Amino acid sequence: MMKVLILGATGHVGNRLCKYLSQHKYQVIAASRGRLKTPIHDHIILDTLNFEAMRTALTQVDAVVNCVAGDKYSIGQGAEILANAAKAAGNPMIIHLSTMSVYGGNEGNVTENTPFDPSYGWYAAAKCEAESHMQTYADAGGRVISFRPGCVHGPGSHLWVSRPAQLLKSYRLGDLGDAGDGWSNLVHVDDVVRAIKIGLEISLQPGEHKKYNLAAPDSPRWNQYLFDIASSIGATPIKRISRLQLKLDSKLWSPAIKVCQIVSRKMGLKVSFLPEPLPPSLVKLFDQHIFLNSDEFSKAHLFSYTTYTDSLNDSIQWLKSQL
Amino acid sequence: MIKNIVEIPSGTMLDVDVCIVGAGAAGIATALSLSGRGLNILLLESGLEHFNQQTQNLYQGSLTDANLHSPPDKYRHRRFGGSTAIWGGRCMPFDPIDFEQRDHIPFSGWPIVYNDLHPYFVLANRFLEAGTYEYDADKVFGAEAKPLFKGFKSDRLFTNNMERFSCPTNVGLRYHRRLQDAKDIQLILGANVTGIRLDANATTVSHLNVASLEQHTFNVKAKKIVLATGGIEVARLLLASNDVCPSGISNKHDVVGRYYQCHIAGNLGKLTIFGNPNSVRHGYEVSPEGIYCRRRLALDAATQRKAKVGNLVARLHFPKIVDPSHKIGVLSGLFLAKNFISYEYGKRLKDGQATLSTYLHHFKNILFDPIDTYLFLYRWLTKRTLAQRKFPSVILNNKNNQFTLEIHSEQIPNPDSRITLITEKDTLGMPKVNIDWRYLPEDIQSVEKTLDVFVEEFQKSGVGVFEFNKAQLEEDLTRFGAYGGHHIGTARMGNDPTTSVVDQHCKVHDLDNLYIASSAVFPTSSQANPTLTIVALSLRLADHLAQTVGAKAQAQHLTI
Ligand SMILES: Cc1cc2nc3c(=O)[nH]c(=O)nc-3n(C[C@H](O)[C@H](O)[C@H](O)COP(=O)(O)OP(=O)(O)OC[C@H]3O[C@@H](n4cnc5c(N)ncnc54)[C@H](O)[C@@H]3O)c2cc1C
Repeated sequence: MMKVLILGATGHVGNRLCKYLSQHKYQVIAASRGRLKTPIHDHIILDTLNFEAMRTALTQVDAVVNCVAGDKYSIGQGAEILANAAKAAGNPMIIHLSTMSVYGGNEGNVTENTPFDPSYGWYAAAKCEAESHMQTYADAGGRVISFRPGCVHGPGSHLWVSRPAQLLKSYRLGDLGDAGDGWSNLVHVDDVVRAIKIGLEISLQPGEHKKYNLAAPDSPRWNQYLFDIASSIGATPIKRISRLQLKLDSKLWSPAIKVCQIVSRKMGLKVSFLPEPLPPSLVKLFDQHIFLNSDEFSKAHLFSYTTYTDSLNDSIQWLKSQL
Repeated sequence: MIKNIVEIPSGTMLDVDVCIVGAGAAGIATALSLSGRGLNILLLESGLEHFNQQTQNLYQGSLTDANLHSPPDKYRHRRFGGSTAIWGGRCMPFDPIDFEQRDHIPFSGWPIVYNDLHPYFVLANRFLEAGTYEYDADKVFGAEAKPLFKGFKSDRLFTNNMERFSCPTNVGLRYHRRLQDAKDIQLILGANVTGIRLDANATTVSHLNVASLEQHTFNVKAKKIVLATGGIEVARLLLASNDVCPSGISNKHDVVGRYYQCHIAGNLGKLTIFGNPNSVRHGYEVSPEGIYCRRRLALDAATQRKAKVGNLVARLHFPKIVDPSHKIGVLSGLFLAKNFISYEYGKRLKDGQATLSTYLHHFKNILFDPIDTYLFLYRWLTKRTLAQRKFPSVILNNKNNQFTLEIHSEQIPNPDSRITLITEKDTLGMPKVNIDWRYLPEDIQSVEKTLDVFVEEFQKSGVGVFEFNKAQLEEDLTRFGAYGGHHIGTARMGNDPTTSVVDQHCKVHDLDNLYIASSAVFPTSSQANPTLTIVALSLRLADHLAQTVGAKAQAQHLTI
């Protein structure tokens, strides 16, 4: 039985991955930074920035899946520490959850060979840095698979399901016209989870680092996705939103909300009463004509994605169960 | 990729897979649909990104009867995006009956049926930002929603048929980015096609001549060529390219430029609905996708066949603006503002002689109806001027359940209604056109017979009364001449080359590589405004072209 350590086990992907692998005869050690609200089987608390702790944990497993999210340190330095600790622990296989953000502002048909663009923002920079540490690990004889998913939706996705739903309900998103013409590059969280399991089964040579984009090829443009969510939650008729409104919202109104959120948190207040901020990076993404080409993985591993309609239904069902 | 003609060295011969001439609704839809299939696509556009008077002047020409048709340089724009820069955005598909050969409509019948176009209508609707492809108000708003007239039932006259409104989307602005980003599309602005050159056997287009206003010239060779220059300019290009075939391209049987149709339209009659103004659904409804929709009156296909009439729709309208006796401040305001409104939108406001007393009465109307006038102005400002999706038209409060009907009717194809070339030339040396638009007495009779059914059905229903003045019908329907902006039939589609110019795939009969994407190919005009059907035909053409040159069948997912 293969023993797998999952870092970031309480996150959106990590959480579903733990369950899935456990059901599929993997011995899973779920690791996260903090304590859990709902207990997971075989959970440990692990600080991914602590080399010694990481090394100890890694010596006990055959593979590790890195689903850590967070600030730029936990992403960038975390990956460096992971690489070093894995080396010190006898070179377990690493599955690294990267992101399409490594391609930054690239547009058009983006394959695994498209150059990185760390200049795009702190997140892109951190994720590029993380992948470079993975490369260093491979160069030193490690085995790595980096997955670069698009926007991971499906059950449990605040970012791509409940957040847009809230913004649609308050008519701050809607029909964005040409500002919503970018591809959504959606991928169902369970497709990511299935891809990771396939990754764990690939036999790599020491020194190999495989990279795969993950996105459902039938993902629509953002306008379509936003309308589909809006209509399923009755946030209709949707409004035509101008570029000016998007700009005012993301650059003036949303930063104010953000400040209130921070202050409220400091004062120990709940922030759920505050409206959802619309970050400028999201507005930029809706307008980015990037088509994340995921043929490489589908072809190499006969992988078929959940259809857009099914993913959407799953997302909506989850969303409704939250209300 | 978007370029200006000056970036192409003078004298060059470009060699591409598909060359599309004209970047309006048809040309842009064709190009985007072809994109992503491994082809090398060239899109030539005469205009620039903004209106330019010298370019627009290339559209000038003459009229046989200035009372019957607007000048050729009005009601169309020669610029990137084409006439969608000023269109009204009204969308509706052609009905299945429009494609049928109907014995009571001479020269009717398309070589394709509605179902051939259906999948493309779905995409065209999205392309024009008119939402989901569904034109039955009962399906869009639910059968329980308030109908056009409460309690009205008829099995001949239907009120659930509706139209949808595009933003109105200027396809040049809307798809600028996609055209710019597409690596397989080269759009050249300022590039006027001035000639279609044939090989010696007159079976193939060998190349196109292209020129700028500054006499910068180059040529284009292409496996397939698509003319998407609009319903008048298609005929002009075919007729003017007469070096190998003296009568022009594909014009052996003298069909090019003939059968020119617009629509027969007018605001007429008096519809009185009994009871409370609440019993009438007047104005727009908004569909879930945020689209303004409006219900209309129309006969079903069986009744049209039985009554031997053409297709027609009617919308509820307000009284004649010019006549101040309506006492409606908003209308008087519109009347007074008519000189500030563009030619195209002001035309139907300029009705008859206005004396000083007419003006004074209109001022009085505004003074005595201030609240409605201000409310109207406020709504106009927020929902139209400042909005991206624009409130489509002036809708007044229904105070007394009295309406006129705005009629939009099919016109019978008539070979004598035609576009010809004149000797006068434009600055590029192209002969200008003359427009001789005509209607037939049967066109007026068709409207009359249809309205007779309206009269009967209202009477039967008991919800109201419709009356119209038969003696004045022709005058009412032709007061402003042909309905502007719909240029139909000048290179019609058909199986018989003696009465048509292109085949069912929009390919010119006599040549193996020249195609037309335009309302020029419509054999008949329907009740519908043309653009949705133009785009649907263009998308169908793109699939056909891709197939014939052996490109990928499917456009990259959802290119449109
Ligand atoms: C005021 C107004 C309101 C309208 N309202 C509606 C409506 O509500 N609903 C509806 O369905 N339709 C409406 N229309 C009609 C609609 O605009 C046209 O049906 C539509 O634009 C036609 O598309 P097209 O691509 O065939 O032609 P166009 O949009 O006219 O495009 C033709 C293009 O070809 C270019 N071109 C011309 N000659 C040459 C040449 N020799 N070389 C290179 N390029 C050339 C032109 O510059 C232009 O860009 C309206 C039109 C007007 C004017």
